[in-house]
Amino acid sequence: MKRTVSLLMLVPLLGATQTFSAALGITLMLGAVLGVFAVCMSPLRERLTGTRALLASLTLAATLTSCADIVAQRWLLSWQQTSELYIGLIALHCVVLEYHGAFREPVAVSFKRCALFGALMLVVGGLREIIGYGSLGRGLSEHWQGLVLFPEGLHLFTLVPGAFVLLGLLLAVRQAWTRRNSVIKETHRP
Amino acid sequence: MNRSASVVTVVLLALVGASATYVLQRSSAPQIASEQRLLESRQLLDVMPAALYDNQPLEQPLTKLTEPVLRHSTLSGGYRATRSGQTVAVLLRSRSEGYAGTLELLVAIDANGRVLGVKTLEQRETPGLGGHIGEWPNAWLQAFIGKSRTGPTDAGWALKKDQGQFDQIAGATITSRAAINAIHDALRYFDEHRALLLGTGS
Repeated sequence: MKRTVSLLMLVPLLGATQTFSAALGITLMLGAVLGVFAVCMSPLRERLTGTRALLASLTLAATLTSCADIVAQRWLLSWQQTSELYIGLIALHCVVLEYHGAFREPVAVSFKRCALFGALMLVVGGLREIIGYGSLGRGLSEHWQGLVLFPEGLHLFTLVPGAFVLLGLLLAVRQAWTRRNSVIKETHRP
Repeated sequence: MNRSASVVTVVLLALVGASATYVLQRSSAPQIASEQRLLESRQLLDVMPAALYDNQPLEQPLTKLTEPVLRHSTLSGGYRATRSGQTVAVLLRSRSEGYAGTLELLVAIDANGRVLGVKTLEQRETPGLGGHIGEWPNAWLQAFIGKSRTGPTDAGWALKKDQGQFDQIAGATITSRAAINAIHDALRYFDEHRALLLGTGS
């Protein structure tokens, strides 16, 4: 179960985080749709079983995602056009998470997991924008050009393979960090 | 819960979902359309400074351009930008053949026949080489600002490689050549149909 879900979550993490504002948008939308979906599914889950539960979750996910997409088109069209594909995919996230029982876990656990994922999205989006474009916060507001750090960036990081490389580096940093901490603990043992 | 009740639940859910989506779509369709127009016009019109004109150029298209087939390119349309009723610029959409497919440029020309800006609308050039022409803002295309049909001379309207005076996009001679020829074509067309394009002669 874990593997399917994390593979699926990898798609927006790599694809929709070109800039910090894009990452923020897709994170908020994922959070909102998943939240509403979880709330609406909880009464249905007790009454329906098997195929009917799946059908209900499918309908609900499709409805919520379409509505979110329309709202985004209405108020955030320029962002919506760059992330259209990933907005449509949110429905799949809902159904797969539901199918694997992710919403049946305690609220605190799923909330913590969502917050962690959101933070990761924002970190990846921010880093990609800084490395790829040399700026941060472009497109957050119409009147602000964003914080320009370098005049030019590494083009690779604006593309999906660059995001993959960045994610690999982040994982390597995390691993090095945890390993170092555990080594220190071991040496200080009496 | 029995079987039929749960089927009813699912059907009800589907109905509610479909109608909610439909109502939302219907109610926001006009706003979405106007947003789309706004975005489109912003994308097209950042080719020239916004302070220059005070009309909605996209609502004043130049339809039926006479003899739109030029030496190296074809003009597919144009727009007129005016300021207090006076035409200040003409935007021409030019299509030519790049390295890998159609290259569509928007060339803004002021009333004196000088380039105000060039923007790529569509391109299928090699990513990383000729594909740089699609970036915006674009330093290479900015080199054309202020140029006119006669300054530089006809021979100067070419790449340095072809004894002209323009640099090329690194590794994309054909794309650069196509763009230069298309811009020169547009300027030539403007000079030849000046009165008609500015809307003063006819």
